Amino acid sequence: MLRTEHLSLAYGDKQVVDNVSLAIPEGGITCLLGPNGSGKSTLLKSFAGLLPPRSGQVFLDNRPVAQWDRRRLALRLAMLPQKPVVPDGIRVRDLIALGRFPHRKWWQRNLTTDDNATIDAMAMTGVSDLAERPVEALSGGQQQRVWIAMALAQETDILLLDEPTTFLDWGYQLEVLELLSTLNRQHGLTVVMSLHDLNQAAQFADRIAVLADGQLDTIGSPAEVMTESLVNRVFRVHTSITAGWEGRPFCSGFAESAQSRSRQRPRCIATS
Amino acid sequence: MTQPATTTPRADQRSLRKFCTSPIARLVLAGALSLAMVLVAGVQLGAIDLTWAQVWAGLAGESSQHVQRVVFELRLPRTLTGVLIGIHFALSGWLLQLLSRNPLAEAGILGISAGASLVAVAAFIVGDWLVSSANPYNNTSFALQYLPLFAMAGGLVTALAVYFLGMRRGHLSPVKMTLTGAVLAGMLHALTTGALAFWGHAHTELVAQWLAGSLYGAEWEHLRTLLPWTFIGLAGVALLVRPLEVMQLDDEHVRTLGLVLNRWRAFALLIATLLAASAVGVVGPVGFIGLLIPHISRRLAGANLPVQLVLCVLLGAVLAVLADLLGRTLFSPYEVPVGVVSAVLGVPFFLYLLSRQP
Repeated sequence: MLRTEHLSLAYGDKQVVDNVSLAIPEGGITCLLGPNGSGKSTLLKSFAGLLPPRSGQVFLDNRPVAQWDRRRLALRLAMLPQKPVVPDGIRVRDLIALGRFPHRKWWQRNLTTDDNATIDAMAMTGVSDLAERPVEALSGGQQQRVWIAMALAQETDILLLDEPTTFLDWGYQLEVLELLSTLNRQHGLTVVMSLHDLNQAAQFADRIAVLADGQLDTIGSPAEVMTESLVNRVFRVHTSITAGWEGRPFCSGFAESAQSRSRQRPRCIATS
Repeated sequence: MTQPATTTPRADQRSLRKFCTSPIARLVLAGALSLAMVLVAGVQLGAIDLTWAQVWAGLAGESSQHVQRVVFELRLPRTLTGVLIGIHFALSGWLLQLLSRNPLAEAGILGISAGASLVAVAAFIVGDWLVSSANPYNNTSFALQYLPLFAMAGGLVTALAVYFLGMRRGHLSPVKMTLTGAVLAGMLHALTTGALAFWGHAHTELVAQWLAGSLYGAEWEHLRTLLPWTFIGLAGVALLVRPLEVMQLDDEHVRTLGLVLNRWRAFALLIATLLAASAVGVVGPVGFIGLLIPHISRRLAGANLPVQLVLCVLLGAVLAVLADLLGRTLFSPYEVPVGVVSAVLGVPFFLYLLSRQP
């Protein structure tokens, strides 16, 4: 499956990811956590072969991703960027059908198998009713489901998502994460995503990788990773971690700087 | 990943009938009809207005020599050349707007026309000097059929410069690309004017007229010179339709869909430049068609690229022929260049469409 060995990535002279070795478990949900600028997005891009490693390697099926033919890679691995661009005036159905591009020769029109995969992808994400609507007219949550449908229409077994919840309100965030969780359980889709919310990561991930300053700090199950000392070290947040939903860790906290300003600040109470 | 069983595929027949009664088919039909109308008008109207019967007899070769000459040697080649340059500029603009995801991209604005003009004018002046110094009594000027090649060389160099200077951190930046193109266009235009003032001599007037973008004096030779490039351009655009659909997405998204972006973008840029520069080489830089027609086609066709493409071909030809027709009839016997009229005609329509934008 997907793994990195001593991977270092850089934009020009700026080193962003430094000597990261990790393996993505097949059929699981892996979350990348870390403060802003810790290299989460960059690492995801390198998984998709979008950024040549400065040193080290990303492997897919024991073969460096850089050596994969782009189209063959697109049949194994789909990626949803953080802020995808909506083509002018495109309808939901047509956008999702773009996910079929790697499945046909570049001159071919839509094949029947393409139509079927598009219809299935719409059904799985619950956007069938929106098929004829222009994508621009949809709400943020609906748009995100359409983008996920497009990635599903690609029929890959790995799905990479760069902060799929960032521009959504809380309800839509949970909706998107639950959709991914369902797809993972029912279809064995391997999901790798970067998230900002620790509790959402703990709730949905099988495995959490924590990045700090481009280095891999910790990787493990939510219970192993979510400790008060780790959260304090990486995010500079004082936390209390309790048992939350289904025994998953739940943390609440306040920033270090806040504590120094006012020691009287009431602590947030975890409610679940 | 496994997929659940799916619904039955659509029957081809039903989709064909659905297509024929669809708004898209009506659009294409309306476009084709208006093209037919301006073609007839282009042959019929002018300094001497002909009747239907005269045009028909002229085309069939059964009329007076005078009518024959007007139809065959003047109006038909001119109108058909207008069709081709309309197609060239419209498709070139369409490709440039799509490949750079930049609604302002067009051969004129990006400096491709200016680069093509500069090299074509330079080739004209140098070629003329060579010919006349070799044989001072020969006053035939530099051969027309080579001008598109020189124009394409100039257009390609400019297009590459704009493309690479328009990059920011490995991504094509629409704003930077447009600004670079506008600045380069200004500089190249100044150089062309300068070259003309210094070395234009007896040909200054002829070249100045060409630089305004005019179909004045378009003959069968112009059409013959342009036609191979029209076919190459159309073939290239047809190959590009599917990749272009994907290229409307974000760069990284495009690459994760399995498209080798740089290769296809370079190919699209090449075809767009060949189309615009070959037309510049024959009739001079005609602006606005490349900006207006793709926008109008997009408004009418929505996101359907094959339909946009067909509408670009039809409407580009309509605008060019109509603009030329008005330019040579409104103030007859004076002529207004096709580029000027297409701007005057197209811009209000464009503004109207913009104001209706949701």
